[in-house]
Amino acid sequence: MVDMEDNFLDFESEDPLLTRPAVTKRRRKTIGLDDLLTDFYKEEDKIVEKEAKRAKARRNNDSDEDDNDKEAALFDIKTPPPLSFPELKTCRVLQSFMDDELNSLIDISTENVLYSSKENLRASACDFWCAILSFENEVDLPPVKIDWFPSYFELKIALENYGFLFNFSSNTDSAPSKVALGAMASAFAHERGPAPNIRAWLKFVTAACQKRNKMAMYLTSEAEELIEVIICLFSDRQLQGLSMLLHECMQSAISYFTENEWESSCEKIANSLACRVPKDVTCLRIVECISGVDTRSKLFRSAIAHQMLLSCYDHKAPNDEEILKLLIPVNVKDKKCDFSKMYIHLVLAENWLLSSQLVEDKPVLKAMWRLYLRNCSCLIASTDLRSFASKVRNKASYLLQGTITAD
Amino acid sequence: MEKPGSTRNVGGIEENILAILDSSEAKDNQDAYEDRITFLEAVRAASIVPKDGTPPTYAMFEAIFSILRIGKSLELTMESFRLLNELDKRFPRIYSSDVDNSTSSSSVPELIVVEEAWYPFASSENASNERGATNNSGGPVDSSGFQLLIQDLADATDEANFQASETKTLANMLLFQYLINVLEWDFLPRNRIYKETMNWVVLRESLINMLLVSRKVNQKSLTKDCLTIMCNLYQTHAGFTDDLICSKKSVAQPAEKFDAAAAIALLEIGNNTCIAMQKFLVIIMELDVSKQSADIQGSTTRADGIRSPLLEIILEELTYNKDILDPFLQVFDEPKWKLEIVVKYLWKYIAKPSIRTRRSNGPPDDDASFNGALKCFSNITSAKSTIKKIRTEVVQLLLAHGFQAHLSLPCENLLVGDTSTSDGETSSGLLVEICENIISAFKNMKAADKRMEVLSLGKEALFTAATIVSAKSQYVTGQLQIAIGESLTRTEERA
Repeated sequence: MVDMEDNFLDFESEDPLLTRPAVTKRRRKTIGLDDLLTDFYKEEDKIVEKEAKRAKARRNNDSDEDDNDKEAALFDIKTPPPLSFPELKTCRVLQSFMDDELNSLIDISTENVLYSSKENLRASACDFWCAILSFENEVDLPPVKIDWFPSYFELKIALENYGFLFNFSSNTDSAPSKVALGAMASAFAHERGPAPNIRAWLKFVTAACQKRNKMAMYLTSEAEELIEVIICLFSDRQLQGLSMLLHECMQSAISYFTENEWESSCEKIANSLACRVPKDVTCLRIVECISGVDTRSKLFRSAIAHQMLLSCYDHKAPNDEEILKLLIPVNVKDKKCDFSKMYIHLVLAENWLLSSQLVEDKPVLKAMWRLYLRNCSCLIASTDLRSFASKVRNKASYLLQGTITAD
Repeated sequence: MEKPGSTRNVGGIEENILAILDSSEAKDNQDAYEDRITFLEAVRAASIVPKDGTPPTYAMFEAIFSILRIGKSLELTMESFRLLNELDKRFPRIYSSDVDNSTSSSSVPELIVVEEAWYPFASSENASNERGATNNSGGPVDSSGFQLLIQDLADATDEANFQASETKTLANMLLFQYLINVLEWDFLPRNRIYKETMNWVVLRESLINMLLVSRKVNQKSLTKDCLTIMCNLYQTHAGFTDDLICSKKSVAQPAEKFDAAAAIALLEIGNNTCIAMQKFLVIIMELDVSKQSADIQGSTTRADGIRSPLLEIILEELTYNKDILDPFLQVFDEPKWKLEIVVKYLWKYIAKPSIRTRRSNGPPDDDASFNGALKCFSNITSAKSTIKKIRTEVVQLLLAHGFQAHLSLPCENLLVGDTSTSDGETSSGLLVEICENIISAFKNMKAADKRMEVLSLGKEALFTAATIVSAKSQYVTGQLQIAIGESLTRTEERA
C-alpha cells in the first residue's frame, strides 16, 4: 500500500490529468463514483479544480472592465470553461491501464474518463489530500513524498475566486438598540453567498497545519495571515453552521506555530486585527471565537482583547495599569454615556485579564479590576433603562462576585 | 483530568450564571437570544477557560442542554452543541484507571465512573412517570424520546425539499450527534475493560445497552430509520453541485432566494450526522460481539434480554430493500464492519460447499472471508450459478465496496483478517491475490452474462486492482534493480 501511495504521488507530479466533467455522458444521477474512484483520481481532481480556478483568475485579471468582471465571474461558476488536458495522454497509470486487455471490459479512454457530481468530487479530493497529509501517523511506513503542494497563495485564490473579501464589516449603521451580537455582514461578496468550496478549504487547511512537524508548508507570516482569514470567516454569519469546522481549523492553525513563534505571532495577529476590526460588537465576536481550551488559545484570546482595548483608547495607555485607569471613571450620570461602548470595554477587559494570569500575578491590577467592576455594578441603577445599561451592570456584578469568591 | 464535585463556590457561580437567563426565560426576542449567548459564554468562561475550572452544575448542564434541544436558532444550537462536547471532553464521566496516570499499582485497569455526573439521558424509571413531557421539553432524553428523535430525522430528511424546515432539523441532527458522542464515550472505555476482564456487568450498565434493552425501543424500526437517514442524507449530498447554488441564486426572486449558507450548513451537519449514525451502528455491533462472548461465558442473565444482533437486522434490511444497498455502502465506510456486511451478504447467496471443497485444499472449509467469496467467481460456471441468484449489479456493488473496505483496513487487520491465506503469505501477497481475484471475478461475470454492463463503481474497482497489480510487479522489479545495482556497486568497490 505504501509504495502505492508513493507512486500515486509520483504520477501526480508528472502533471495533472483529467477526470472532470468534460464527459457529457451521464447515465445515473447519483453516481457511485467517489468511494472507489481510485485514489489517483481523487488527487488529480483536486488539481483540476485548482487549475480551473487559476484559469478563472487569469481571465478575471485580463478583463479591463470592472463591471463586466463580476458578471463574467458569476458566469464562470455557472458553466466552468471546458477543460482539456493534453497531459492526460502521457499519464503512465492511465496509459498502462488502457494498454491492458482488461480495458476491453470497461473502455476507458482519455476522452472518456470517470465522472462525478461536483460536491462528491470535491469531498473526495479533499478526503484524499487529508489522508495523504495524515499518512505519517501510521507506524513503520515510509513517508509519502509530496511533490506538489498548494501554496498559501493558492489557498487564498481558492477563496477569492468565489468572492471572498478579506475584510471585517461594521454594523454600526444599525440602530444601537438593535445591535445584535450576531448581525454581521458576509465575508463574501453579497450576491454570491459563501464559497461552495469552503468546507473542503477548511478541512484541507486543518489537515495541512497539523503536518507542521514534518514539513513547513507556510511561512510564519503566511500562517499569521491564515489565522486572520479564519477569524474573518468566523465573523460571517452565513458560516454559522460550520462553526465546528472553523474551530477545528483555528485550533490546528494555532498549533502550526512553534512555541517560540507563537508568542510574537500572537501579538502580531492581535495587533493587526485590532487595527482592522470596528470597535463594536464585531470585536467581541472575534474575541469569543477563540475557544480558550488550551494555553495557546488562552494567550491568544487575552492578546486580542488587550489589543482591541488599547486601540479603543487609541493606544494612549502605555501599560496595563494605565488601561484600567482609563476604564475606571464611569460617569453614568452623563446623558450621553455610551453604555454599549462601556459593555464592549467591560467584556474586552474581562477577556484580557481573565484569560491570562495577569490578575493573579499583579495584585495592583487585581485591586484596580475590582474597583472598576464595583463602579460598573454599583453606579448604574437597576432602574436605568438605557440600552445596555443593565447588561453592563449584570455582567460587572457577576464578575465582581467571581473575584470575591475566588479568594 | 478534573473531577467534578469538589468545588468551592459553585453555588455562587451557578446562581450568577443562571441569573443571566432568568430575566428572559419566557421571552422569545432578541434580548432573550443574546442572554442565551451570554450564558453559554459565561459557562465557558467559568468551566473551560480557567486552568482550575469547575464543571457546571446539574442545573447549568440542563440549561445548556435545553438550549440545544429547543433549537431556536442555528447559532445557539451550534454554540450549545460545541460547549457540551467540550465540557464532556474536559470533564469525562467515565474513564479507565490506566488512562489516569496517577495509578500505577494495579495492573488490571479499572473503570472510574464519576459519581453524580449529569447525563443527557433520562433513566427509564423517571421517564415512565412523565412520558410525553420529556419528549417535547428541553429535558433529558429517554429511550422512547431517542427513538422518536430518530424517527423525526428519518421523516425530515425524507422530504423532497427538506431545507425548508431546516433550523429545527439541523438542531435535531446536532442533538443526535451529541447523544451519540455521549453513548460512544461511555461505551468505549467500558468495552475496553470488558475485553480485559470479561466482566459483563461493566457493559450491562453501559448507556447504549440500557437504551437498547428498554422495551420501548423497537430495534427493527430503529435500525430501519437509521439506514433511511443515512441514505437520505447521502442523496442530498450527492445531488449537490455548485450549479445548484449559482443557478438558483441568480433567479431574481428574493423571497424564495436559495439559501446557500443553509445549504452548506446542511451539507456539513448532514455529513456529520452520517458519521454519527455510523458510529451508532458500529457501537451496537461491537456491543453485540461482546454480549455474544458473555452469553457463551454464561455471564448474562434473563434480565439482559434477547436482541437480534444488529448485523443481522442490517443484512435483512439490505436484502429486502435493494434500493438502499447502493447509498448505504457509499456512506458506510468503517472498513472492518463494512467488509463484514459485504462478506455476510455475499455468502448468503454464494453456492455453498461443493465448489469450494473441491477447490480449497488445506485451509479450513468455512473460509467465509472476502477472498473466499471472490474465489466463488473464479470460473465461469460458478459465476453463472451465483448471478442466477443475485443480480450482477448487486454483485458488482458488493465486490467493489468489499474491495474498497479491504484496501482501507488498517495494516494489522490485513494480516489477521484473512487467516486462511496469511499463513505463508505476506499481506502484500494477499493484496495482489485479492486484486487478481477481483479482476477475474468481473471477467467471469461478463463472460457468464454478455449483456452485463460494468457499473462505474466496478470500473473503478477494476482500474484500482489492475493498477495495484502492475505497480506491485513494477515495485518488485524496482527492488530487484536496486538489489542488482547494489551488488554491482559492491563488486566495483571490491575491484
